[in-house]
Amino acid sequence: MIDLEERIVEKKSFFNRLVIIYLFFGLIFIFFLERTYSLQISEFSDYEIAALENKTKEVLVQPVRGVIYDRNGAIIVNNVPSYDLIIKPWKILDLNKFIEKISLVIELNSDEIDFVTENFNQKARYNRELILKKDLTRVEIARFEVRSFKFPNAFIDKRYSRKNNYPHLFSHAIGYVGGISNEQLNSILEDQALDQDETIFSYSNGFLIGKTGIENKYDKTLRGLFGKKIYEVDARGKFLKQTNYIEPKNGGSLFTSLDLNSHKVAYDKMNNRRGAVVAIEIESGSIVTYLSTPSFSSNDISNGISSKAFNALLKDPNKPFFDRAAQGRYSPASTIKPAIGLYGLEENLIDWNFSINDPGYFILPEDQRIYRGWRKGGHGNVNLKKAMIVSSNTFFFSLAYQSNIDNLINHLSNFGFGKDICLDCFNPDLGLLPTPDWKINNLNFGWFKGDTVNLGVGQGYLSATPLQLAYYASVIANKGINKKLTLVNNQTVKVSENLPLKNIQNSDWEKLHSSMIGVIDDPQGTAKRLKGLKTYTVAAKSGTVELVSTETKEDYKIIRENVGNRDHAIIIAFGPMPEPKYAVSVIIENGESGGSVAGPVAIAVLNSLIEE
Amino acid sequence: MKKKLDFKNFSIYFDHYLFISITLLSVMGLFFLYSASQEDLNTVIKQSIFVGFGLILMLAVSQPDPDFYKTFSGIFLVLSILLIFATMIFGKEINGAKRWLDLGFFTLQTSEIVKISLPIFLASYLYNKPLPISLKHTFITLILIGSIFFLVYRQPDLGTGLVVFMAGVYILFLAGLSWRFIFTSFGLVLLSLPFLWNNFLQPFQRQRILTFMDPSNDPYGSSWNITQSKIAIGSGGMSGKGYQDGSQAHLNFLPEAETDFIFAVIAEEFGFVGVCILLSIFFFILLRCLYLAFNARDRFCRLTIGGLSLVFASTLFINLGMVVGIIPVVGMPMPFISKGGSSLLSFYIAFGIIISMATHKKLMQK
Repeated sequence: MIDLEERIVEKKSFFNRLVIIYLFFGLIFIFFLERTYSLQISEFSDYEIAALENKTKEVLVQPVRGVIYDRNGAIIVNNVPSYDLIIKPWKILDLNKFIEKISLVIELNSDEIDFVTENFNQKARYNRELILKKDLTRVEIARFEVRSFKFPNAFIDKRYSRKNNYPHLFSHAIGYVGGISNEQLNSILEDQALDQDETIFSYSNGFLIGKTGIENKYDKTLRGLFGKKIYEVDARGKFLKQTNYIEPKNGGSLFTSLDLNSHKVAYDKMNNRRGAVVAIEIESGSIVTYLSTPSFSSNDISNGISSKAFNALLKDPNKPFFDRAAQGRYSPASTIKPAIGLYGLEENLIDWNFSINDPGYFILPEDQRIYRGWRKGGHGNVNLKKAMIVSSNTFFFSLAYQSNIDNLINHLSNFGFGKDICLDCFNPDLGLLPTPDWKINNLNFGWFKGDTVNLGVGQGYLSATPLQLAYYASVIANKGINKKLTLVNNQTVKVSENLPLKNIQNSDWEKLHSSMIGVIDDPQGTAKRLKGLKTYTVAAKSGTVELVSTETKEDYKIIRENVGNRDHAIIIAFGPMPEPKYAVSVIIENGESGGSVAGPVAIAVLNSLIEE
Repeated sequence: MKKKLDFKNFSIYFDHYLFISITLLSVMGLFFLYSASQEDLNTVIKQSIFVGFGLILMLAVSQPDPDFYKTFSGIFLVLSILLIFATMIFGKEINGAKRWLDLGFFTLQTSEIVKISLPIFLASYLYNKPLPISLKHTFITLILIGSIFFLVYRQPDLGTGLVVFMAGVYILFLAGLSWRFIFTSFGLVLLSLPFLWNNFLQPFQRQRILTFMDPSNDPYGSSWNITQSKIAIGSGGMSGKGYQDGSQAHLNFLPEAETDFIFAVIAEEFGFVGVCILLSIFFFILLRCLYLAFNARDRFCRLTIGGLSLVFASTLFINLGMVVGIIPVVGMPMPFISKGGSSLLSFYIAFGIIISMATHKKLMQK
């Protein structure tokens, strides 16, 4: 069919065609080798890392939070271990048999058995541990430990809960811990260049963060650093072996300036009335007492509380969650008078001999409006000292009347009004130091002379927190030397500043102190009932915050039928004189009398601090 | 070069180059498989039975004279097509695909047989046709190739289908398909690609191709295989992680490590050096086939050797290309290395036939 010539042509064509395909394959082969070369040699390190990341799984290990101490080294917040029974599901072949066997040693209720049964298979598949029973009793621990050789696939593990040893005394000052949002967690982990991942918890309620108070402000110190366990895993994420363990760095201890004993005393004396107590060690500016009442148990919030109980707290009309010490706004009332007196002296509006007649009221010349004092008929002839002791409103109305509002505001601001005077308090309120600008912007009214007059007795728009009032007291006690407040000792060096007062001499300060001593020690003093409660000398200024303006005592008797309308009782005090160590402010809402209601609390707290 | 072993009056047709290199590959394959199967001795024992049987089969298949294959090629083809029909009816369904006939002791992937019987049949059909192949014969051939491809494709088994298709086309091309026909049809195929894409490919196949174009598209979806395979190969580096120390394979990151992706295991554990050594054996086999094709006794033998060796080469390159990610994932084993009986045995048979074609000489050429 095919002749010889054709056969030669055919053979040649075949060879050519086969060689074409072989060459084509040869090209593919070279291309393939190039690809393999680039994967294995050029990009080797990338793929080496990718392979390593594939088989590596990091598990975070939660650090234990630092312990919080009072200023004398008493432990306030600690970590209390509870003991959980943990099993290794991947090593247990027959769960029912295992439960049967371990039930003879440790009783399991149906919830616990259900939980284990539900989660067993999944945990077994990925070689993960499973909690069989939480919070074992001592008896259970002992029963298990002596028989542990029978249960090689179960062990007891320690889990902590955060516990405040005095849960009601420090619920606002130290605050509480709680769960953490994803963003917070991510930012915490980012600091350590970690990713959010599976975590071995040291706390039974998982990730914790300081929510309020010192727990919040010093969260970073208290928190510590996460450790990690590094496992080799297979493609399904099953743990094969632990390859490395970087231990967590537990949180640092925190030595606060808070004084346990004074908190106990203050809490006792407040007796769940609405109010706040703040005391300051004058020399250091450290806060030793920081109490807002009524309070709540910070442990309940940190470690779990039924939603019913929580709602009850939320709806409590006394607002136990409200931090009155740092966030409650109160008119300083008569406690402002020492600052106003100093203003008069500084501006040479008065001197210690200057006196006026107090008829029991002050008439504003501009509009003949009457501003009343607290005592019908007045106090007669009063100078600055007497005006402080008897708390003459007329004296300070007329002094304020003569003042320049801008200078007066500036003067008051030097005492911390309207300012943040604490370096590490949680969410402190700034109170309100009203200015003409503020009034026109917020109330749409111009500033009246009457507003300035009201400022003279600490009423009207002016408001301050108990923290600010205690600071104010400490500045007066320290003769104008002021230091910002702190809750934790030994932190950054605090600068002390002097008030920018040019005309105030040491003798003026001494006379001011002696007037304030007179508030208690003088027979006419507004807080004279406190005299017998102490063994040393205390300087003070009491105040009564009028919530409803009334013309007469009879009118007040009517409005006081409603407890919420009653005046707030307020006092600032410092001692022992003449070298005061502690300054204190006390507010009792609707307590009516600064001297006789808030006063005893202030004295008791000073006693506890001074006589310690 | 001895092509015959003489035992007194009894002679065995034998090519020791191919025999030694294929045996070497098979033994290396068993060695790799032990690691790839995560030291599963059962798998290796089962595979070594196939290897042993396959080597004997190869020897046996190389004994008959090429004329035997030429004469019976039609019957072989009909039988293998019947097997595919049988698979359609009695086949074992795995993952939605009906490709296997359960023979009790062995599950046979029937399409593996047709990829040998088809090229032999075409060689026997075309060996006496004048050059260039006439349009009539070209169409008859193409219709045959197309129908068999369609049968396999419907199983569905696109990978093997393509190899069967290629096997047929290789023979047609080698036999002297006219260049004009080649260029015309090539142009037509290019034009009809969009139509094929829309009507012929299953959604998962389209997805595979799309993933292949942009593997970063879904690292844990369909490109998982490619990504993990690349990591395995790349992390092997120059000299590899060491035998049985490949983490990608041993921690199950690499899918199909015993079958389609066994090359990635080898590359991970033996590195670029190991890859080069392994590939040079394949390369040697292909060159030997080229040599044998050139020296074959007649056109039928030439076509058969050329066609079967190209089937072998195509399977290898599709597998390699898929594993390193230069072509989309299609199920394709690595010849003589991957686990799996049917494919393994089919290549022993193919090489047995190649050896038969190469070693039987005729005193007078036709």
